[in-house]
This record gives sequence, C-alpha cells and structure tokens, in this order.
Amino acid sequence: MSMSTPEASAIQASGLGKQYRRTWALRDCTLAIPPGHVVGLVGPNGAGKTTLLRLAAGMLAPTRGTITVLGARPAENPAQLARVGFVAQDTAVYARMTVADHLRLGGWLNPGWDDSLAHQRTNELGLDPKQRGGSLSGGQRAQLALTLALAKRPDLLLLDEPVASLDPLARREFLRGLMEAVAEGGLSVVLSSHLVADLERVCDYLVVLVASQVRVAGEVSALLASHHRLTGPRRDPGTLPADQEVITESHTDKQSTLLVRTDGPILDPSWAIKPVSLEDLVLAYMSRTADGTQKTRLGVVS
Amino acid sequence: MIRLSLLQFRTQALTAVAALAAFALLLAVTGPHLASLYAASGLSGCHGGSCLNLAGGFDAEVQGSYTALYLFSVGAILLTPAVIGLFWGAPLIARELETGTSALAWNQSVTRTRWLAVKLATVGLTAMAVTEGLSLMQAWWAAPLGRAVGQGAPSGPLSQGRFTQLIFATHGITPLGYAAFAFALGVTAGALIRRTIPAMAVTLAVFVALQIAMPLWIRPHFAPADRAVIAVVPGTDAGGAAGLTGSTLTLVATSIPGQPGAWILSSGPVNAAGKPVSTTPAACTTPGIAGSPHFYSCLTSQGIREAISYQPARRYWPFQWTETALYLAAALALAGYCFRRLRRRLS
Repeated sequence: MSMSTPEASAIQASGLGKQYRRTWALRDCTLAIPPGHVVGLVGPNGAGKTTLLRLAAGMLAPTRGTITVLGARPAENPAQLARVGFVAQDTAVYARMTVADHLRLGGWLNPGWDDSLAHQRTNELGLDPKQRGGSLSGGQRAQLALTLALAKRPDLLLLDEPVASLDPLARREFLRGLMEAVAEGGLSVVLSSHLVADLERVCDYLVVLVASQVRVAGEVSALLASHHRLTGPRRDPGTLPADQEVITESHTDKQSTLLVRTDGPILDPSWAIKPVSLEDLVLAYMSRTADGTQKTRLGVVS
Repeated sequence: MIRLSLLQFRTQALTAVAALAAFALLLAVTGPHLASLYAASGLSGCHGGSCLNLAGGFDAEVQGSYTALYLFSVGAILLTPAVIGLFWGAPLIARELETGTSALAWNQSVTRTRWLAVKLATVGLTAMAVTEGLSLMQAWWAAPLGRAVGQGAPSGPLSQGRFTQLIFATHGITPLGYAAFAFALGVTAGALIRRTIPAMAVTLAVFVALQIAMPLWIRPHFAPADRAVIAVVPGTDAGGAAGLTGSTLTLVATSIPGQPGAWILSSGPVNAAGKPVSTTPAACTTPGIAGSPHFYSCLTSQGIREAISYQPARRYWPFQWTETALYLAAALALAGYCFRRLRRRLS
C-alpha cells in the first residue's frame, strides 16, 4: 500500500493541542515518531496518549498546532484512511452484527482488504463467524477489531491501550497476533499502554509522554545501552562529567544512587554500575518533572 | 458503503415493510365496503339539494367503525414521521458515539462525509417513501369520504375539507416533508447530544411543537388571508354556530357561501360599519333565543354580519408545496449541519 515518501514520520506533531470545553487533554505537544518501528507510547493516565492517538487517527481535530501521519493530514481522504488502521481503547464492535458481517464490512469499505488474512486470523482465533459482536468476550472483541484493522493492510497501525482490559492469556494472544503481523513486514505500529511489561515484549521504540510532553524517545536497545544505575559513596551529582545526564538521584547519609544517561563509558571506579530495565527507565522519566528536576521523595529510588 | 448501510438498516426496514403491509391489509379489507356504501348512497349521480340529504345518509352509514378507522389511519400517518425521527434518526450518529463503534465506522477507507451521505440517503429516502406510501394508501381508502364532503355532507371528522389540519397534514405531499425533516432532526439531535435516549426525547419535543405551531401560527401566513363579510344565517352555509353567554356574542363559521373547501382562519360578528362587536345587541337578548332562527334574524335586523378571514380552496396545492418545501429546506439545513459537525471530527 505504501506509495508516499518512505521517510515521512509515522506521526509528526508540532505544538499540538486539544481542548475540551475548559480543559486541555493535550497541550503544546511536539514529537516525531519515525516509521518502521513498533512504538510504545507510555505515560501516566492523563498524559494525553489517547488524545494523541485519536488525533492521529483523525477521530479528533486539533484545537491548536498541527499533526501529520505518514506525511498527510489524518483521515483527510480515503487513501489516507486506507493507510492507517486504528483500534480504539474500548475495541467496540457492532453488537448486532456477526463476526462474518464485520469481515464483509471490512471488504466493502477497504480497497486494500485482505480477505484471506481476515478469515485466516478469525479461524486461528476460533471466532465463530455466526457469533454476534455483542456476545464476544473482551479478548475476542479486541481480536476482531485488530483483525479488521490489520486486514485493511495499513502502513501504520494505531492501537490505544489495546490490551488494558484483557486477561493475561488474551493479552499474550493479542500481542502475539500483532507481532506476527509486524513480522510480515512493512507495518509500523504505535501502541499506547501504561503496562511496561507488555511493551517490553513487543516494542523496539519507546516514547514516554508526561503531561503532553515527550520526556524521552528512542530505540529501546539504544535507550537501555545508554542508561545506567550508579551506586557509590555519597557525592554531589553536579560533580559528574558533563556527558552524564542525571535522570533520577537518591541519597542516604553515606550512599548515592543515580540513574544517568550517557553515550560514553563510565570511568569513575568508585561507582558500582548496573544496567537498567525498561520499566526502571520509564518510571525514572515519568517521575521527573517537566523542567528536569526530580520529584521523588528523599531516599526513594524512583 | 451502500451495502453496509443496507445491512445495518435491515431490521428497521423489515419493521417498516411489516407496518406498511399491515396498514395496506387493513385498508384493502375495509376499502371496498366503504366504496360500495358510497356507490349505494346514490351520491355519485345526485343533483342540487338532493345531494345534501344523500350525503347525510352516507355520513350516518359510515359513522362508528369507519370513523374510528379513519382517525386511526390519519393518526398513523401523523405519527410515522415522529417515530422515524426517534428510532431511525436519533440513533444514527448517537448510537455510534455511545457504543464507540464510531471508531470502527470512521476508520475504514471511507470518509465520514461519504459515510453520512450514504446513511442519510438510504434511511432518509426510505423514511419519505414509507410515510408517503401510508398517505397514498389512506387517500385511496378515504376517497369516497372526500367525494361526499364535496357534496355537502354535514360537518364531522369524516367530512372535513382537505384544507383542515388532519387532512392537510396527512395527504398530498406534506408527509414527504415531515418524514425528511423528522429524520434529519433526529440525526442532528443525536450528533449534538451524543446520547440516543435524550436525543429521542428532544426530537419528539421539537417535532411535536413544530407540528402544533405550523397550522396555528405559520401556515395561515403562507399567503395573505382573504376576507368575506356574510349575512348571519342559520345552517351549514353560513354561521355554523352562534353562542350567547351573558351578552357576549360569538359567531363561528364552518363554511363560506361560494367558497367550498376554504380554510377558515377566524370568524366573528361585525356591525353595520364593519367594526368587530363582542356584545349581543340588547334587542336580541331575550332568554332562550340563542341559536334559534329568530336569533339570527334579530341579529341581521340589528345590522350584525359575520366577518370571516380564510384561505380559499384553490390555495391548497400552493400551500402544500410551500409547507413541504419549508420542511425539506429545514431537513437539508440540518443535514448540512451534521456534515459540518462530522467533518470537524466529532468522536
């Protein structure tokens, strides 16, 4: 399906804002998510993840700023709609339409519809074609919604908290189905979640969004390689080398524990160096305030 | 998109077909008998004064079950647009938003504009066809009654001219306008309120209010009313009823000589100078006189005449077109608003 510039960002936003009456769901958000990745969009509740994804899908119009998806305005024409798949948080399907009806709907409304993929997926998932949407379990509904989004053969798939309401088994099956689709190639995915464990399994790119602002973004492997937990005798973080950015810090009377970001080696022999997990990294950035200062309580490593 | 719209509209369409079929059956079973009553009444070949008596006889024959059936069928035609607005219009967008299926519907490779256009066209045109279908069937069934009215049957629910509210609003082309408008109103209410049940309530309230306001305050002004000043005489051709309460005088006209089928907007007594009067001349206040032939001749001798403001029968079709055009224009404006709202990313 891909026909426009391959280097166009999956999502590019500039000064993006969405206001509901008096409250801003997303405010002054600027980000660029490269294509060709499975991107985990993480952040606390209320960070604006859902709003960002709904803006990207064209379900909402921005109050301020701009957003482009694969280089074009979201949902601006049928071609753009065909390139982007969206599965909303509640993975709603039509209660009175059967599974087979849903697949027919997909075939009627999408020129790039892959009917064999759709039927293969529903068969593998054990979805009864005659079963109505209203009687599907949460996991089956999510799978049906994902099937519809995948079988239209989009270039970009947007998934808003797709597994939040699923039990662990359904969650694993959903993510496995997603990974199989990604493995076939050519598909970028942006999925939001506040469950880092799920992201760890599927994502190769991470965006941490807190209060509409991107705290950190990058490929997961690079992020893990450049972040370290340092433990050693108590010292002022200001004395660290210039290339070591302190993300979080905590101190006891005798000891300092720092989470630092650096691309270079850490040479100081007084530090005990440990790798960080993706969860540590996400939590560290989420606990940082917007100006870079840390808001953890004393003695608590974030 | 048309196929999806038809798939989703299946249940409602089947309900509509079933209702139409039941209505058709009811009228088809009773219609021939009604027509035979008319044929047997001798009205079709009558001349002059004999018609009045024959029409009276026919009217007496069809009282009872045919009156009930007539009122039921008229009521069904009046209610159909409201029911369509409630059950087809209000949920069209509101239910998608309420259940979250809007995310599914509007993320296929079809723009919202096209989605809405197809939905409005398939459901809206069906709504208009169903309502007008009911109206045409009922018009066929009630045709003998209409002919009897033209021949001077006495007043009653079965024998009113086609300009009266119940008939004007259920025949001709007005049902098309009502159906389109009520449907568009429901869709708009749903888009604004985003909840099906409250949208249904608002649709019903607005539609009923408009249907009451239209004959009372809007339709009379489609054209400047004509005025007639006639002699106060008892009987069907002039002042239909005169009331005397204390010394207050009221005259209510039900027909105008030489203006059969006119829509009477207002009527009342005027004096010789043409000024409205509201009190009975002292000479005509003898107890027990009210309503008697003597009362009318007394009023006439006192120079009292009856002034009537009315719309002549020849304006029936211009008024039908005007009213239908108004409702269709309102329906289009509402639809236009829905398109704008949907394009501005309602979700």
